[in-house]
Amino acid sequence: MTEALEHSPGHELERLRQEHLMLDPRPRGEMNALVMEAMHTTSWKFKMVFALLSVVVAVCLFGVWGYLIAEGMGAAGLTDPVYWGIFLVNTVFWIGISHAGTFVSALLRVFKAEYRRPFTRAAELMTTFGLVQAALSVFMHMGRVWLSYWLFPYPNERGLWPNFHSPLSWDFLAINTYLLASTMYLFLPLIPDLAMARDRSTGWRKTLYRILSLGFRGAEGEWTHLRTAMNIFAFAILPVMFSVHTIVSWDFAAAMRPGWNSTIFGPYFVVGALHSGIAAVAMVLVVVRATMKNMKYFIRPEVFDALGKLMLIVSMGWAYFFFNDYMVQWYGGDSFTDTLLHFHENGPLGWMWFSMLIFNVAVPWLTLWNRRVRRNPWALFGIGLFINIGMWFERYIIIPTSLTINFMPFTWREYVPGVEAPLGIGTLAFFILLYMAASKLVPLVPVWEVQEGQMAHSLRKVGKETIVSVAEME
Amino acid sequence: MTEKISLLALFPDIDPAAQAVEKLRGMGLTDDDMNVISGTPATEAMLGRPHQWSNVPRLALGGALGGFLIGVFFAFGTPYLYPIEVGGQPLIPVPPSVVVLFEMTMLGLLVATFLGVFLDSRFPSYAPKEYVPQISDGKIAVFFECPVEKRKKITDALAALGAESIQPAEAQKL
Repeated sequence: MTEALEHSPGHELERLRQEHLMLDPRPRGEMNALVMEAMHTTSWKFKMVFALLSVVVAVCLFGVWGYLIAEGMGAAGLTDPVYWGIFLVNTVFWIGISHAGTFVSALLRVFKAEYRRPFTRAAELMTTFGLVQAALSVFMHMGRVWLSYWLFPYPNERGLWPNFHSPLSWDFLAINTYLLASTMYLFLPLIPDLAMARDRSTGWRKTLYRILSLGFRGAEGEWTHLRTAMNIFAFAILPVMFSVHTIVSWDFAAAMRPGWNSTIFGPYFVVGALHSGIAAVAMVLVVVRATMKNMKYFIRPEVFDALGKLMLIVSMGWAYFFFNDYMVQWYGGDSFTDTLLHFHENGPLGWMWFSMLIFNVAVPWLTLWNRRVRRNPWALFGIGLFINIGMWFERYIIIPTSLTINFMPFTWREYVPGVEAPLGIGTLAFFILLYMAASKLVPLVPVWEVQEGQMAHSLRKVGKETIVSVAEME
Repeated sequence: MTEKISLLALFPDIDPAAQAVEKLRGMGLTDDDMNVISGTPATEAMLGRPHQWSNVPRLALGGALGGFLIGVFFAFGTPYLYPIEVGGQPLIPVPPSVVVLFEMTMLGLLVATFLGVFLDSRFPSYAPKEYVPQISDGKIAVFFECPVEKRKKITDALAALGAESIQPAEAQKL
């Protein structure tokens, strides 16, 4: 009897509705109300965490940075031969995190992956805020940050331009292009939701949304221009995303140093960025779903299932590139490279090297094949955390650990971080703080995109089975 | 000269709105006399409307070309403005220049695409407009201009198609 009920058409329909957001439409007004309520509801826990993070940012980020500026770069642990420390580890790490937003939003939009719809904005926000932390880490590393304008492409008083053939100038162009592009790509699909928020707000929020929504009302022409632009962005921002981390990798690969001079560093870095970035998206979504009101309607286990599969595939890609890089260097026979590889495994930070492999490969491979694990939000959060720690370790091994061993053994010296450690904590706190503030200021779910997806989905019978059908609406 | 009135008809869904567009056309209104306003994009095909023209792709191409030319100036022009010869190295190495050309081209393309939306949609525009907040709650509005003497006939026809309200469109502060 129970089995018969479970296979009844009504039960099957209910199961499909619970499973897929796209098959569980609600009136648009109701969905708007859910998102607005999530934005406006602020619990005392939220306020406490926000206040705590503000203190951490004030002390660890701006306080310690002020100390670093006042005392000079000697306050950091940087010295010859390790002249790039945690500052650059964090720069690469945050640029990696920033890749997820573009990847999730643009690539899944290009491939019309429907499960992306409720969380594209949550991922795009990560891109912008991740890039802010990356840029801050570069400025910290500069020391005399007030001279950072020297990097801008204009000539000095002697008519001398920056050298555009230097990898640092490429970094400047690539990171700024990506920061601008990802901010514009975040803003464009936000305009209709800001207009929705404008229609439902009062007071200062009304004024804010009125200004930001630019006078959008949803006329045919406005939608046409917006969708055309979003399609161009979705295709064009992907090569920019790939270029950014490739160029970051060339900062290392273009140098004649053991462990760095590798031809596959570009794709290796890009895959590594996606590895940490997608894991971070999953973590953010778990927290958003658990802490923000009404988010369980929009973010369902199907999202975690899909992200878990992506994490597993990207983990395999990362393992492939890691082994490819390692194998060629190991086989090369260069004595300094050989010493460096042994230093990675048997040196004082050997535990970090093995942890990196366990966190980035063993943990996802042993868990994410299982559908039940993928669909369990907190399990996925834990796996995402392991992956992000593993990927931070990877960057630490590539930068300060590898810099320890060069072609001049008399200069070999281990790196001991100074003020970089609290500054790193400060950037993490600042990222979370910005995200929390944004979650109360902008609609975190692109409601119009969700409704558009729901309009495109339907159920149809094929023989005795009810299957999901998606229409091409563009 | 015929006196005209602007009306805003509100429909619960796309289907009756599309039928209303067809009906209005049948009653002598041209496509230029009407506009459909919605909280979710509805394609021209869904609404039975003519193809909407957008300059955004052309502006994007123009931006890409502009960005490329700036990249050419950065990569190939600036070294000649203050030549620094370094032993054994060319003044203009080609592979690093490709990186600069790519980034500047993409930057030009994306910025022009973004600004293209502003130009084509005339954003920002904070002047009062014909609009009702129910649109962002999922209603579809058909905004049109018709001769005053046809108002009654058109109103009756749209009401028969399921219009929830048909009122004179008043420009209001958004």
